[in-house]
Amino acid sequence: MLRKKIDIWPYLLIAPALIIILAMVFVPAFNAILMSFQSYDLRRPSEIGFVGLSNYGEVLQDSLFWESLLRTVIWVVFGVGFQFVFGFALALLLNKKFKGRGIARSVSLIPWVTPGVLIGLMWRWIYDGSYGVLNDILLKLGLIQDKIPFLAQESTAFPSVIVTIIWQGVPFFALMLLAGLQGVPGELYEAADIDGANAFQKLFKVTIPSLKNTIFVTTLLRIIWVSNSVDVIFNMTGGGPAYSTQTLSVYIFNKATSLNLGYSSTMSILLTLLLLLVAVPYLKNMFKSQGA
Amino acid sequence: MKKVLSAILAVAMSMSMFVGCSNQSAQSQTSAAAGAADSTAAGTTATTTITHWYWADNSAYSAKMQEMVKDFNATNKSNVKVVAQEYPWDGGAYSETLFTAVVGGGGPDTSSFKLTSTPQFTANKLLANLDTYVSKWSDKDDIDSSLYDTMKQAGGSNSMYVMPWNTQVLYVYYRPSMFKAAGVTVPKTYDEFLTACKKLTRDTNGDGKTDVYGFGMRGAKGGQEPWGSFIWARGGDFTDFTSAKAVAGMQDFIDLYKKGYVPPTATTDGFNEIIANFKSGKTAMTVHHIGSSADMVKTFGDDVGAFVFPAGDKQWTSMGDTENVMFDKCKNKDAAFEWLSYLATGKGQETWCTATGNVPVSKRVQQLPVFQDNKFMKVSIEGQPHAGIFPILDTTTEWISTVWPNTVASALAGKTSAADAMKTLQKGLYGTK
Repeated sequence: MLRKKIDIWPYLLIAPALIIILAMVFVPAFNAILMSFQSYDLRRPSEIGFVGLSNYGEVLQDSLFWESLLRTVIWVVFGVGFQFVFGFALALLLNKKFKGRGIARSVSLIPWVTPGVLIGLMWRWIYDGSYGVLNDILLKLGLIQDKIPFLAQESTAFPSVIVTIIWQGVPFFALMLLAGLQGVPGELYEAADIDGANAFQKLFKVTIPSLKNTIFVTTLLRIIWVSNSVDVIFNMTGGGPAYSTQTLSVYIFNKATSLNLGYSSTMSILLTLLLLLVAVPYLKNMFKSQGA
Repeated sequence: MKKVLSAILAVAMSMSMFVGCSNQSAQSQTSAAAGAADSTAAGTTATTTITHWYWADNSAYSAKMQEMVKDFNATNKSNVKVVAQEYPWDGGAYSETLFTAVVGGGGPDTSSFKLTSTPQFTANKLLANLDTYVSKWSDKDDIDSSLYDTMKQAGGSNSMYVMPWNTQVLYVYYRPSMFKAAGVTVPKTYDEFLTACKKLTRDTNGDGKTDVYGFGMRGAKGGQEPWGSFIWARGGDFTDFTSAKAVAGMQDFIDLYKKGYVPPTATTDGFNEIIANFKSGKTAMTVHHIGSSADMVKTFGDDVGAFVFPAGDKQWTSMGDTENVMFDKCKNKDAAFEWLSYLATGKGQETWCTATGNVPVSKRVQQLPVFQDNKFMKVSIEGQPHAGIFPILDTTTEWISTVWPNTVASALAGKTSAADAMKTLQKGLYGTK
């Protein structure tokens, strides 16, 4: 009898966190699922009601949805890919001993701790086609002859916002990988030295395999966060010009602020399913390799 | 013992959350009650608090609104205390923020408002019906009856849900010195206007690059208003964007961009950019209303003028409006109406319109010398017979904030033809989705 009573303690202890998660995550998520099966447009309250799979049919026939989805893939592949490359390089650099390393580590975190809205506004002004500092620098260096309206033309707007998201995410990768690097036993490098391994061999045979799990987790987290990111793009371009920077999450946001909550919920559910398609095999593979 | 302590702690944590919720709920109720009255005590000493939301184009206007609130709070006889909270206009996002707040059960008692948002709010039964208050109002005749009719039309019924406050008629700002340098006179026809855009685009220092653009085009949110003048000037209108005349107007708009008579950033230029470009001398003309006139005069002195967007086959300019509304959830509607009437015909009308230069709705205020002697006010009044608004439908807000800027940007970039862009705009405004 006494044993049974004791079993309740773990549940009691996690109860507050569980209740908060249920209220803040699961209830809204459940509501979003319900809304995706409804005509839920607050501009037309008299038409609110269940419509079955009609929203899904409409979304799948919406060319803007597919364009935004493709853009999301590009956004994630280039955004997260370059964040990893630069983040890894920065982590390796910050792992070396040099004068002022503490300050360099702190300063490198600035982009990560800056709010996304501020980053969006700041880069919008940096890129400004009339008064932006980037144009000024490029002109003075003689690299361009005329100012480039970076965010006002389709060909440059999307690459410009991708550069911004890379800038924002590099420190996160650097931080996580640096923590991982500090956990790699020095004996492994000593053994590699004895075996006559060069720097590249040590990187690919010792460092990267030791950081495999950190890389997996960090990349997965960034894929999810960058896919769902709205603040940077919204504050830089609002998804324009001509939808050229509209990712799926920005499209969802724009539809939601236009009060068509049924339609935006449907797109949210589809985005979640797509992210699960990426995340589940990814995690499975990770745990599998851990087991091995 | 440790387990007992941890159990108590866990329960306490859970409880504290509910207590937190309960406190929050109690606070919400208190705030709601405060919206009705700070004190429930009977008698004349009870203070009624009204929360009011507004936007302001610059910090001077923000200060002016707070000054008006202070004056109203000090002078009203009914012991009403207004708390005015400012939110950014943000190219129309204000209306979305307001709607989200009110439909969620929060938001203010009264608010500044745009007529175009009326169907969205009335469809959700969020606005208070003002018929009874206006019919008993002593200042009722100080506002022209046609304005009351416009307010009623916006709501799609015979009832009035929106209280008139002030209007802004869009016109063209220009730099006389630049006109002189380019040998251009103030255009009297639409064709002359297009020619002026071309002639005013100049390389002033001979380096082979354009230094001054003829026209400051607004391609971001809000740009549909000056754009509408082009559509009408070619004989089109807003009932059918796909008509040959409307498409011709769109083609003119595209040509200005393609030929380089407007800044290359036009696709994303909003209010801040067109004003900055005009004030820095980058553009020779731009379209805005009298609200910017004080700032323009401060920058240029006498070297700034204004004219009504000229007539082509037809003439149209956008009538911007700023009104006020009272929400149905407001617990003390008499007090709220007293505040709205102070803004519409009282001291608030005079103070706000004098500060912003907006066209007053009060006939008494219109007659004041400060309005009669103002050259920008004269142009506003001259433009009034041609001033109109976009169709007010439940799709209008999304059309303005998303459909119009993206479709026009695509057309300016040459990705879509004028005819196809107009088809998209037609579908966006009148289509079902």
